[in-house]
Amino acid sequence: MSFHDLIVDPFSFGFMQRGLFSALLLSLSGGLLGSILVLRRLALMGDALSHSLLPGIAVAWLLFGTNTLALFVGALVAGLLTALGSALVSRLTRIKEDAAFGSLFTIFFAAGVALLSRLPARVNLEHFLFGSVLGVSASGLRLAAFSSAVTLVVFVVGRRSILLETFDPVFLRATGGRGPIVHAGLLALTVLNLVAAMQTMGVVLALGLFLLPAVTAYLWCDHFALLLVFAVALAAACSFAGIVLSYHSGVASGASIVLCLGIVFIASALFSPRHGAAARLVEFIRERHSVHRSAD
Amino acid sequence: MNSAPNILRFRDVTVRYGRQPALQDVTLDIPCGSLTAVLGPNGAGKSTFLRACLGWLPLTRGEIRIGDAHPQHALPRLAYLPQRHAVDWDFPITVRGVVEQGRYPALRLWQRFSDRDRALVDRALAELGLTDLADRQISQLSGGQQQRIFLARALAQGADIFLLDEPFTGLDLLAVEELTRIFRSWEARGRTVLAAVHDLDIARRAFGRAVLLATSVVAEGPIESVLTEANIDLAFRRGKGARDDPLRMARTAEFPE
Repeated sequence: MSFHDLIVDPFSFGFMQRGLFSALLLSLSGGLLGSILVLRRLALMGDALSHSLLPGIAVAWLLFGTNTLALFVGALVAGLLTALGSALVSRLTRIKEDAAFGSLFTIFFAAGVALLSRLPARVNLEHFLFGSVLGVSASGLRLAAFSSAVTLVVFVVGRRSILLETFDPVFLRATGGRGPIVHAGLLALTVLNLVAAMQTMGVVLALGLFLLPAVTAYLWCDHFALLLVFAVALAAACSFAGIVLSYHSGVASGASIVLCLGIVFIASALFSPRHGAAARLVEFIRERHSVHRSAD
Repeated sequence: MNSAPNILRFRDVTVRYGRQPALQDVTLDIPCGSLTAVLGPNGAGKSTFLRACLGWLPLTRGEIRIGDAHPQHALPRLAYLPQRHAVDWDFPITVRGVVEQGRYPALRLWQRFSDRDRALVDRALAELGLTDLADRQISQLSGGQQQRIFLARALAQGADIFLLDEPFTGLDLLAVEELTRIFRSWEARGRTVLAAVHDLDIARRAFGRAVLLATSVVAEGPIESVLTEANIDLAFRRGKGARDDPLRMARTAEFPE
Protein backbone atom coordinates (compact mmCIF):
# COMPACT_ATOMS: atom_id res chain seq x y z
CA MET A 1 0.00 0.00 0.00
CA SER A 2 1.54 3.29 -1.10
CA PHE A 3 1.63 6.52 0.84
CA HIS A 4 -1.01 7.84 -1.51
CA ASP A 5 -3.38 4.97 -0.81
CA LEU A 6 -2.78 5.27 2.90
CA ILE A 7 -3.09 8.99 3.54
CA VAL A 8 -4.48 10.83 0.53
CA ASP A 9 -7.04 8.44 -0.89
CA PRO A 10 -9.38 8.38 2.10
CA PHE A 11 -9.91 12.11 1.89
CA SER A 12 -11.14 12.07 -1.69
CA PHE A 13 -14.55 11.44 -0.13
CA GLY A 14 -16.56 14.41 1.07
CA PHE A 15 -17.70 12.72 4.27
CA MET A 16 -14.09 11.88 5.15
CA GLN A 17 -13.09 15.50 4.70
CA ARG A 18 -15.96 16.61 6.90
CA GLY A 19 -15.01 14.06 9.53
CA LEU A 20 -11.37 15.15 9.48
CA PHE A 21 -12.17 18.87 9.68
CA SER A 22 -14.63 18.26 12.47
CA ALA A 23 -12.11 16.20 14.44
CA LEU A 24 -9.33 18.79 13.94
CA LEU A 25 -11.58 21.65 15.05
CA LEU A 26 -12.60 19.69 18.13
CA SER A 27 -8.96 18.87 18.84
CA LEU A 28 -8.31 22.59 19.18
CA SER A 29 -11.09 23.28 21.66
CA GLY A 30 -10.83 19.86 23.31
CA GLY A 31 -7.10 20.20 23.95
CA LEU A 32 -7.57 23.63 25.53
CA LEU A 33 -10.59 22.72 27.64
CA GLY A 34 -9.24 19.31 28.61
CA SER A 35 -6.04 20.87 29.97
CA ILE A 36 -8.05 23.17 32.21
CA LEU A 37 -10.34 20.34 33.35
CA VAL A 38 -7.32 18.22 34.29
CA LEU A 39 -5.58 21.07 36.13
CA ARG A 40 -8.80 21.94 37.97
CA ARG A 41 -9.29 18.25 38.88
CA LEU A 42 -12.62 18.22 37.09
CA ALA A 43 -11.81 15.32 34.77
CA LEU A 44 -14.57 13.11 36.15
CA MET A 45 -17.03 15.97 36.03
CA GLY A 46 -16.53 16.06 32.27
CA ASP A 47 -17.48 12.39 32.24
CA ALA A 48 -20.61 13.16 34.23
CA LEU A 49 -21.56 15.92 31.80
CA SER A 50 -21.09 13.71 28.76
CA HIS A 51 -23.48 11.08 30.16
CA SER A 52 -26.06 13.67 31.07
CA LEU A 53 -26.52 14.64 27.41
CA LEU A 54 -28.43 11.43 26.74
CA PRO A 55 -31.95 12.38 27.87
CA GLY A 56 -31.73 15.58 25.86
CA ILE A 57 -30.96 13.58 22.74
CA ALA A 58 -33.75 11.12 23.49
CA VAL A 59 -36.38 13.79 24.10
CA ALA A 60 -35.39 15.66 20.95
CA TRP A 61 -35.62 12.42 19.02
CA LEU A 62 -39.10 11.70 20.37
CA LEU A 63 -40.32 15.20 19.53
CA PHE A 64 -38.55 15.99 16.27
CA GLY A 65 -37.23 12.72 14.88
CA THR A 66 -34.01 12.81 12.94
CA ASN A 67 -33.64 16.59 12.92
CA THR A 68 -29.93 17.05 13.73
CA LEU A 69 -30.33 20.58 15.02
CA ALA A 70 -32.99 19.44 17.50
CA LEU A 71 -30.68 16.69 18.75
CA PHE A 72 -27.90 19.21 19.33
CA VAL A 73 -30.15 21.63 21.14
CA GLY A 74 -31.63 18.84 23.27
CA ALA A 75 -28.19 17.62 24.30
CA LEU A 76 -27.03 21.17 25.01
CA VAL A 77 -30.03 21.87 27.23
CA ALA A 78 -29.60 18.59 29.15
CA GLY A 79 -25.88 19.26 29.73
CA LEU A 80 -26.40 22.83 30.85
CA LEU A 81 -29.24 21.75 33.16
CA THR A 82 -26.95 19.21 34.82
CA ALA A 83 -24.17 21.77 35.29
CA LEU A 84 -26.56 24.43 36.57
CA GLY A 85 -28.46 21.96 38.78
CA SER A 86 -25.25 20.70 40.39
CA ALA A 87 -24.06 24.23 41.03
CA LEU A 88 -27.38 25.05 42.68
CA VAL A 89 -27.50 21.86 44.76
CA SER A 90 -23.94 22.42 46.02
CA ARG A 91 -24.65 26.08 46.88
CA LEU A 92 -28.07 25.58 48.48
CA THR A 93 -27.55 22.33 50.36
CA ARG A 94 -24.80 20.70 52.34
CA ILE A 95 -23.82 18.48 49.39
CA LYS A 96 -20.43 19.17 47.77
CA GLU A 97 -20.13 19.83 44.05
CA ASP A 98 -18.60 16.49 43.03
CA ALA A 99 -21.34 14.53 44.81
CA ALA A 100 -23.99 16.82 43.31
CA PHE A 101 -22.64 16.11 39.82
CA GLY A 102 -22.46 12.39 40.51
CA SER A 103 -26.07 12.31 41.66
CA LEU A 104 -27.58 14.47 38.96
CA PHE A 105 -25.80 12.85 36.03
CA THR A 106 -26.94 9.34 37.03
CA ILE A 107 -30.52 10.61 37.24
CA PHE A 108 -30.20 12.22 33.82
CA PHE A 109 -28.51 9.16 32.37
CA ALA A 110 -31.21 6.89 33.77
CA ALA A 111 -33.86 9.15 32.26
CA GLY A 112 -32.03 8.92 28.94
CA VAL A 113 -31.85 5.13 29.06
CA ALA A 114 -35.53 4.94 30.01
CA LEU A 115 -36.52 7.18 27.11
CA LEU A 116 -34.29 5.35 24.64
CA SER A 117 -35.83 2.00 25.53
CA ARG A 118 -39.17 3.47 24.45
CA LEU A 119 -37.85 4.48 21.04
CA PRO A 120 -39.02 2.38 18.10
CA ALA A 121 -35.72 2.38 16.16
CA ARG A 122 -32.26 2.97 17.53
CA VAL A 123 -30.06 2.46 14.52
CA ASN A 124 -29.27 6.09 13.79
CA LEU A 125 -28.78 7.01 17.43
CA GLU A 126 -25.77 4.73 17.53
CA HIS A 127 -23.87 7.40 15.67
CA PHE A 128 -24.46 9.72 18.57
CA LEU A 129 -23.53 7.17 21.18
CA PHE A 130 -20.39 5.77 19.59
CA GLY A 131 -19.50 8.24 16.89
CA SER A 132 -18.90 7.82 13.20
CA VAL A 133 -17.03 9.85 10.62
CA LEU A 134 -19.72 8.83 8.16
CA GLY A 135 -22.25 10.54 10.37
CA VAL A 136 -20.79 14.06 10.36
CA SER A 137 -23.34 16.19 8.59
CA ALA A 138 -22.80 19.68 7.21
CA SER A 139 -24.59 21.13 10.23
CA GLY A 140 -22.44 19.00 12.51
CA LEU A 141 -19.33 20.46 10.92
CA ARG A 142 -20.73 23.96 11.32
CA LEU A 143 -21.37 23.31 15.01
CA ALA A 144 -17.83 22.01 15.48
CA ALA A 145 -16.47 25.15 13.80
CA PHE A 146 -18.68 27.34 15.95
CA SER A 147 -17.80 25.71 19.28
CA SER A 148 -14.12 25.61 18.39
CA ALA A 149 -14.09 29.29 17.46
CA VAL A 150 -15.99 30.32 20.59
CA THR A 151 -13.60 28.31 22.76
CA LEU A 152 -10.54 29.81 21.08
CA VAL A 153 -11.85 33.36 21.48
CA VAL A 154 -12.70 32.78 25.16
CA PHE A 155 -9.24 31.36 25.80
CA VAL A 156 -7.45 34.20 24.02
CA VAL A 157 -9.47 36.95 25.69
CA GLY A 158 -9.78 35.33 29.11
CA ARG A 159 -6.43 33.57 29.28
CA ARG A 160 -5.26 35.38 32.41
CA SER A 161 -8.51 34.95 34.31
CA ILE A 162 -8.61 31.28 33.33
CA LEU A 163 -5.04 30.75 34.54
CA LEU A 164 -5.71 32.58 37.83
CA GLU A 165 -9.02 30.81 38.48
CA THR A 166 -7.28 27.49 37.86
CA PHE A 167 -4.05 28.13 39.78
CA ASP A 168 -5.18 30.41 42.60
CA PRO A 169 -8.88 31.33 42.71
CA VAL A 170 -8.41 33.15 46.01
CA PHE A 171 -5.92 35.54 44.38
CA LEU A 172 -8.33 36.17 41.51
CA ARG A 173 -11.03 37.06 43.99
CA ALA A 174 -8.72 39.19 46.14
CA THR A 175 -7.78 41.28 43.12
CA GLY A 176 -11.34 41.92 42.05
CA GLY A 177 -11.80 39.08 39.55
CA ARG A 178 -14.99 37.08 39.12
CA GLY A 179 -14.13 33.44 39.66
CA PRO A 180 -17.66 31.99 39.55
CA ILE A 181 -18.21 33.50 36.10
CA VAL A 182 -14.99 31.94 34.80
CA HIS A 183 -16.01 28.59 36.32
CA ALA A 184 -19.51 28.72 34.85
CA GLY A 185 -18.11 29.79 31.46
CA LEU A 186 -15.72 26.83 31.39
CA LEU A 187 -18.55 24.41 32.26
CA ALA A 188 -20.76 25.87 29.51
CA LEU A 189 -17.90 25.58 27.00
CA THR A 190 -17.36 21.95 28.04
CA VAL A 191 -21.01 21.12 27.41
CA LEU A 192 -20.97 22.94 24.04
CA ASN A 193 -17.89 21.06 22.88
CA LEU A 194 -19.16 17.71 24.12
CA VAL A 195 -22.30 18.27 22.07
CA ALA A 196 -20.28 19.29 19.05
CA ALA A 197 -18.11 16.18 19.43
CA MET A 198 -21.11 13.84 19.55
CA GLN A 199 -21.21 12.97 15.85
CA THR A 200 -17.52 12.32 15.34
CA MET A 201 -16.65 10.87 18.71
CA GLY A 202 -19.89 9.74 20.30
CA VAL A 203 -21.30 11.02 23.59
CA VAL A 204 -19.16 8.82 25.79
CA LEU A 205 -15.86 8.85 23.89
CA ALA A 206 -15.84 12.60 23.21
CA LEU A 207 -14.29 13.15 26.61
CA GLY A 208 -11.29 11.04 25.56
CA LEU A 209 -10.40 13.63 22.95
CA PHE A 210 -10.48 16.28 25.68
CA LEU A 211 -8.76 14.54 28.58
CA LEU A 212 -6.18 12.18 27.08
CA PRO A 213 -4.15 14.88 25.26
CA ALA A 214 -4.22 16.98 28.42
CA VAL A 215 -3.02 14.29 30.83
CA THR A 216 -0.34 13.25 28.32
CA ALA A 217 0.84 16.85 28.01
CA TYR A 218 0.78 17.09 31.81
CA LEU A 219 3.38 14.32 31.90
CA TRP A 220 5.74 16.31 29.65
CA CYS A 221 5.26 20.05 30.20
CA ASP A 222 6.20 22.37 33.06
CA HIS A 223 4.86 25.53 31.38
CA PHE A 224 1.19 26.42 31.21
CA ALA A 225 1.23 27.76 27.64
CA LEU A 226 3.37 24.86 26.45
CA LEU A 227 0.93 22.41 28.04
CA LEU A 228 -1.98 23.89 26.08
CA VAL A 229 -0.08 23.88 22.76
CA PHE A 230 1.20 20.34 23.33
CA ALA A 231 -2.31 19.08 24.17
CA VAL A 232 -3.86 20.67 21.06
CA ALA A 233 -1.10 19.38 18.77
CA LEU A 234 -1.35 15.87 20.18
CA ALA A 235 -5.15 15.85 19.88
CA ALA A 236 -4.91 16.97 16.24
CA ALA A 237 -2.20 14.42 15.34
CA CYS A 238 -4.10 11.54 16.93
CA SER A 239 -7.38 12.65 15.35
CA PHE A 240 -5.75 12.45 11.94
CA ALA A 241 -4.12 9.08 12.66
CA GLY A 242 -7.33 7.75 14.19
CA ILE A 243 -9.47 8.75 11.22
CA VAL A 244 -7.05 7.20 8.72
CA LEU A 245 -6.99 4.06 10.86
CA SER A 246 -10.75 4.07 11.08
CA TYR A 247 -11.05 4.32 7.26
CA HIS A 248 -8.75 1.39 6.57
CA SER A 249 -9.87 -0.88 9.39
CA GLY A 250 -13.56 -0.08 9.60
CA VAL A 251 -13.31 0.62 13.35
CA ALA A 252 -15.62 3.35 14.68
CA SER A 253 -13.83 6.69 14.36
CA GLY A 254 -14.30 7.81 17.95
CA ALA A 255 -12.85 4.59 19.26
CA SER A 256 -9.85 4.63 16.92
CA ILE A 257 -9.00 8.26 17.79
CA VAL A 258 -9.24 7.56 21.52
CA LEU A 259 -7.15 4.39 21.12
CA CYS A 260 -4.40 6.33 19.31
CA LEU A 261 -4.42 8.88 22.13
CA GLY A 262 -4.44 6.05 24.64
CA ILE A 263 -1.27 4.48 23.22
CA VAL A 264 0.61 7.80 23.44
CA PHE A 265 -0.71 8.34 26.97
CA ILE A 266 0.32 4.92 28.25
CA ALA A 267 3.76 5.25 26.68
CA SER A 268 4.14 8.69 28.28
CA ALA A 269 2.94 7.51 31.68
CA LEU A 270 5.59 4.80 31.58
CA PHE A 271 8.52 6.57 29.97
CA SER A 272 8.17 10.34 30.38
CA PRO A 273 11.69 11.36 31.49
CA ARG A 274 10.70 13.32 34.59
CA HIS A 275 7.13 12.51 35.58
CA GLY A 276 6.76 8.97 34.19
CA ALA A 277 6.61 5.75 36.20
CA ALA A 278 9.95 4.36 34.98
CA ALA A 279 11.88 7.54 35.79
CA ARG A 280 10.36 7.71 39.26
CA LEU A 281 11.07 4.04 39.88
CA VAL A 282 14.72 4.44 38.86
CA GLU A 283 15.02 7.44 41.15
CA PHE A 284 13.46 5.51 44.01
CA ILE A 285 15.80 2.53 43.55
CA ARG A 286 18.83 4.79 43.25
CA GLU A 287 17.87 6.59 46.45
CA ARG A 288 17.40 3.35 48.35
CA HIS A 289 20.69 2.11 47.02
CA SER A 290 22.50 5.21 48.22
CA VAL A 291 20.85 4.92 51.63
CA HIS A 292 22.07 1.32 51.91
CA ARG A 293 25.56 2.41 50.86
CA SER A 294 25.73 5.17 53.42
CA ALA A 295 24.39 2.79 56.07
CA ASP A 296 27.28 0.39 55.48
CA MET B 1 4.69 58.76 58.47
CA ASN B 2 1.37 57.77 60.01
CA SER B 3 -0.68 60.35 58.20
CA ALA B 4 -4.39 59.80 57.74
CA PRO B 5 -4.39 58.03 54.34
CA ASN B 6 -2.14 55.35 55.75
CA ILE B 7 -4.29 53.89 58.44
CA LEU B 8 -6.46 50.80 58.43
CA ARG B 9 -9.44 51.80 60.51
CA PHE B 10 -11.97 49.43 62.02
CA ARG B 11 -15.04 50.99 63.59
CA ASP B 12 -17.56 48.79 65.41
CA VAL B 13 -17.01 45.95 62.96
CA THR B 14 -19.29 42.98 63.51
CA VAL B 15 -19.44 39.99 61.17
CA ARG B 16 -21.90 37.14 61.64
CA TYR B 17 -22.02 33.76 59.94
CA GLY B 18 -25.69 32.96 60.27
CA ARG B 19 -26.46 33.95 63.87
CA GLN B 20 -22.98 33.09 65.14
CA PRO B 21 -20.82 36.20 65.52
CA ALA B 22 -17.32 35.70 64.07
CA LEU B 23 -16.15 39.22 64.91
CA GLN B 24 -17.82 41.38 67.52
CA ASP B 25 -17.52 45.17 67.86
CA VAL B 26 -13.96 45.46 66.60
CA THR B 27 -12.72 49.03 66.84
CA LEU B 28 -9.03 49.66 66.24
CA ASP B 29 -6.47 51.45 64.08
CA ILE B 30 -3.57 49.76 62.39
CA PRO B 31 -0.87 52.26 61.46
CA CYS B 32 0.61 51.53 58.08
CA GLY B 33 4.28 50.70 57.97
CA SER B 34 3.90 48.32 60.88
CA LEU B 35 4.09 44.57 61.35
CA THR B 36 0.97 43.36 63.04
CA ALA B 37 0.28 39.79 64.12
CA VAL B 38 -3.36 38.75 64.36
CA LEU B 39 -3.46 36.28 67.22
CA GLY B 40 -6.04 34.16 68.95
CA PRO B 41 -7.28 30.61 69.40
CA ASN B 42 -8.92 28.60 66.60
CA GLY B 43 -12.22 30.15 65.68
CA ALA B 44 -11.31 33.50 67.21
CA GLY B 45 -11.94 35.27 63.93
CA LYS B 46 -8.36 35.62 62.61
CA SER B 47 -9.24 34.64 59.05
CA THR B 48 -12.51 36.55 59.20
CA PHE B 49 -10.52 39.63 60.24
CA LEU B 50 -8.26 39.35 57.15
CA ARG B 51 -11.16 38.62 54.81
CA ALA B 52 -13.07 41.57 56.15
CA CYS B 53 -10.08 43.80 55.29
CA LEU B 54 -10.39 42.58 51.69
CA GLY B 55 -14.04 43.52 51.61
CA TRP B 56 -15.15 39.92 51.01
CA LEU B 57 -17.61 39.69 53.85
CA PRO B 58 -20.76 41.70 54.31
CA LEU B 59 -20.31 43.53 57.60
CA THR B 60 -23.31 43.12 59.88
CA ARG B 61 -22.41 46.42 61.44
CA GLY B 62 -19.60 48.95 61.37
CA GLU B 63 -17.10 50.10 58.81
CA ILE B 64 -13.60 49.37 57.58
CA ARG B 65 -11.60 52.05 55.81
CA ILE B 66 -8.16 52.07 54.31
CA GLY B 67 -7.12 55.68 54.47
CA ASP B 68 -10.24 57.36 53.12
CA ALA B 69 -11.26 54.52 50.84
CA HIS B 70 -13.42 51.47 51.26
CA PRO B 71 -11.50 48.22 50.76
CA GLN B 72 -13.07 47.62 47.32
CA HIS B 73 -11.47 50.82 46.02
CA ALA B 74 -8.10 50.00 47.52
CA LEU B 75 -7.74 46.50 46.04
CA PRO B 76 -4.48 47.19 44.18
CA ARG B 77 -2.88 48.23 47.46
CA LEU B 78 -3.97 45.00 49.14
CA ALA B 79 -2.28 41.66 48.61
CA TYR B 80 -3.69 38.47 50.10
CA LEU B 81 -1.35 35.50 50.39
CA PRO B 82 -2.85 32.02 50.50
CA GLN B 83 -1.79 29.32 52.94
CA ARG B 84 1.00 27.22 51.49
CA HIS B 85 -0.96 23.97 51.50
CA ALA B 86 -3.69 25.60 49.41
CA VAL B 87 -1.37 25.73 46.38
CA ASP B 88 -1.09 22.94 43.78
CA TRP B 89 2.72 22.73 43.60
CA ASP B 90 2.56 20.31 40.64
CA PHE B 91 0.94 23.00 38.51
CA PRO B 92 2.87 23.48 35.25
CA ILE B 93 4.11 26.97 35.97
CA THR B 94 7.49 28.53 36.69
CA VAL B 95 8.45 30.92 39.47
CA ARG B 96 8.42 33.79 36.99
CA GLY B 97 5.00 32.69 35.78
CA VAL B 98 3.53 33.04 39.27
CA VAL B 99 5.16 36.42 39.90
CA GLU B 100 3.85 37.69 36.54
CA GLN B 101 0.32 36.97 37.81
CA GLY B 102 0.82 39.97 40.08
CA ARG B 103 0.58 42.19 37.00
CA TYR B 104 -2.61 40.56 35.64
CA PRO B 105 -5.14 42.64 37.60
CA ALA B 106 -3.64 45.84 36.19
CA LEU B 107 -3.87 44.64 32.57
CA ARG B 108 -6.91 45.03 30.37
CA LEU B 109 -8.17 41.95 28.53
CA TRP B 110 -6.47 42.82 25.25
CA GLN B 111 -3.33 44.38 26.74
CA ARG B 112 -0.02 42.60 26.49
CA PHE B 113 2.85 42.62 28.97
CA SER B 114 4.70 45.93 28.68
CA ASP B 115 8.35 46.63 29.45
CA ARG B 116 7.22 48.26 32.66
CA ASP B 117 5.37 45.11 33.71
CA ARG B 118 8.45 43.03 32.97
CA ALA B 119 10.63 45.44 34.95
CA LEU B 120 8.30 45.22 37.96
CA VAL B 121 8.39 41.43 37.82
CA ASP B 122 12.20 41.42 37.56
CA ARG B 123 12.51 43.82 40.47
CA ALA B 124 10.18 41.73 42.65
CA LEU B 125 12.13 38.56 41.81
CA ALA B 126 15.42 40.31 42.60
CA GLU B 127 14.22 41.75 45.89
CA LEU B 128 13.28 38.31 47.17
CA GLY B 129 16.39 36.61 45.81
CA LEU B 130 14.51 34.50 43.27
CA THR B 131 16.18 35.73 40.08
CA ASP B 132 18.31 32.60 39.68
CA LEU B 133 15.34 30.33 40.35
CA ALA B 134 12.92 32.19 38.07
CA ASP B 135 12.72 29.52 35.37
CA ARG B 136 12.20 26.56 37.70
CA GLN B 137 8.89 24.80 38.07
CA ILE B 138 7.48 25.79 41.47
CA SER B 139 7.70 22.34 43.12
CA GLN B 140 11.49 22.39 42.72
CA LEU B 141 11.92 24.99 45.47
CA SER B 142 12.20 24.68 49.24
CA GLY B 143 9.39 25.68 51.58
CA GLY B 144 10.87 29.08 52.36
CA GLN B 145 11.56 29.82 48.72
CA GLN B 146 8.00 28.81 47.81
CA GLN B 147 6.69 31.28 50.37
CA ARG B 148 8.86 33.98 48.79
CA ILE B 149 7.33 33.36 45.33
CA PHE B 150 4.00 34.60 46.61
CA LEU B 151 5.56 37.53 48.44
CA ALA B 152 7.21 38.49 45.13
CA ARG B 153 3.86 38.23 43.34
CA ALA B 154 2.37 40.61 45.89
CA LEU B 155 5.24 43.07 45.30
CA ALA B 156 4.82 42.86 41.53
CA GLN B 157 1.15 43.68 42.08
CA GLY B 158 2.30 47.00 43.56
CA ALA B 159 0.73 46.30 46.93
CA ASP B 160 1.85 47.98 50.14
CA ILE B 161 -0.55 46.26 52.52
CA PHE B 162 0.03 42.53 52.84
CA LEU B 163 -2.54 40.20 54.37
CA LEU B 164 -1.11 36.79 55.14
CA ASP B 165 -2.91 33.72 56.43
CA GLU B 166 -0.55 31.64 58.60
CA PRO B 167 2.64 32.42 56.65
CA PHE B 168 4.89 30.54 59.10
CA THR B 169 3.03 27.23 59.07
CA GLY B 170 5.19 24.36 57.90
CA LEU B 171 8.41 26.38 57.59
CA ASP B 172 11.65 25.19 59.19
CA LEU B 173 13.64 27.36 61.58
CA LEU B 174 15.88 28.85 58.92
CA ALA B 175 12.95 29.77 56.69
CA VAL B 176 11.13 31.36 59.63
CA GLU B 177 14.16 33.56 60.33
CA GLU B 178 14.44 34.49 56.67
CA LEU B 179 10.76 35.44 56.45
CA THR B 180 11.13 37.49 59.64
CA ARG B 181 14.06 39.34 58.07
CA ILE B 182 12.01 40.08 54.95
CA PHE B 183 9.15 41.47 57.04
CA ARG B 184 11.57 43.68 59.01
CA SER B 185 13.02 45.13 55.80
CA TRP B 186 9.50 45.78 54.52
CA GLU B 187 8.64 47.59 57.72
CA ALA B 188 11.67 49.83 57.15
CA ARG B 189 10.26 50.68 53.72
CA GLY B 190 6.89 51.66 55.11
CA ARG B 191 5.05 48.53 54.01
CA THR B 192 2.31 47.08 56.16
CA VAL B 193 2.10 43.41 57.08
CA LEU B 194 -0.96 41.93 58.72
CA ALA B 195 -0.61 38.22 59.40
CA ALA B 196 -2.71 35.61 61.13
CA VAL B 197 -0.28 33.68 63.31
CA HIS B 198 -1.03 30.84 65.72
CA ASP B 199 2.48 30.46 67.23
CA LEU B 200 2.88 33.10 69.94
CA ASP B 201 6.66 32.69 70.19
CA ILE B 202 7.16 33.33 66.49
CA ALA B 203 4.81 36.29 66.73
CA ARG B 204 6.89 37.76 69.58
CA ARG B 205 10.07 37.50 67.56
CA ALA B 206 8.77 38.68 64.19
CA PHE B 207 6.13 41.34 64.88
CA GLY B 208 6.10 44.72 66.56
CA ARG B 209 2.36 44.96 67.08
CA ALA B 210 -0.43 42.53 67.74
CA VAL B 211 -4.19 42.21 67.76
CA LEU B 212 -5.38 39.51 70.14
CA LEU B 213 -8.80 38.25 69.16
CA ALA B 214 -11.39 36.07 70.80
CA THR B 215 -14.32 37.09 68.57
CA SER B 216 -13.97 40.56 70.08
CA VAL B 217 -10.67 42.32 70.65
CA VAL B 218 -8.98 41.18 73.86
CA ALA B 219 -6.02 43.52 73.46
CA GLU B 220 -4.15 45.41 70.75
CA GLY B 221 -1.03 47.53 70.52
CA PRO B 222 2.70 46.85 70.91
CA ILE B 223 3.11 43.10 71.07
CA GLU B 224 4.76 42.93 74.51
CA SER B 225 1.87 44.79 76.09
CA VAL B 226 -0.64 42.57 74.29
CA LEU B 227 0.88 39.21 75.11
CA THR B 228 0.67 39.38 78.88
CA GLU B 229 -0.24 36.25 80.77
CA ALA B 230 -3.58 37.69 81.77
CA ASN B 231 -4.52 38.54 78.17
CA ILE B 232 -3.41 35.16 76.83
CA ASP B 233 -5.40 33.51 79.53
CA LEU B 234 -8.42 35.56 78.67
CA ALA B 235 -8.19 34.88 74.93
CA PHE B 236 -7.18 31.23 74.92
CA ARG B 237 -8.92 29.91 78.01
CA ARG B 238 -11.82 32.32 78.18
CA GLY B 239 -10.41 33.36 81.60
CA LYS B 240 -11.42 30.10 83.21
CA GLY B 241 -8.65 27.82 82.12
CA ALA B 242 -5.97 25.79 83.78
CA ARG B 243 -4.96 28.54 86.19
CA ASP B 244 -8.29 28.59 87.98
CA ASP B 245 -8.67 24.85 88.05
CA PRO B 246 -5.73 23.16 89.77
CA LEU B 247 -7.24 19.72 89.25
CA ARG B 248 -7.43 20.18 85.49
CA MET B 249 -3.92 21.53 85.41
CA ALA B 250 -2.71 18.44 87.21
CA ARG B 251 -4.51 16.25 84.72
CA THR B 252 -2.96 17.90 81.70
CA ALA B 253 0.49 18.69 83.02
CA GLU B 254 1.44 15.27 84.36
CA PHE B 255 2.14 12.35 82.10
CA PRO B 256 2.19 8.77 83.34
CA GLU B 257 5.68 7.30 83.61
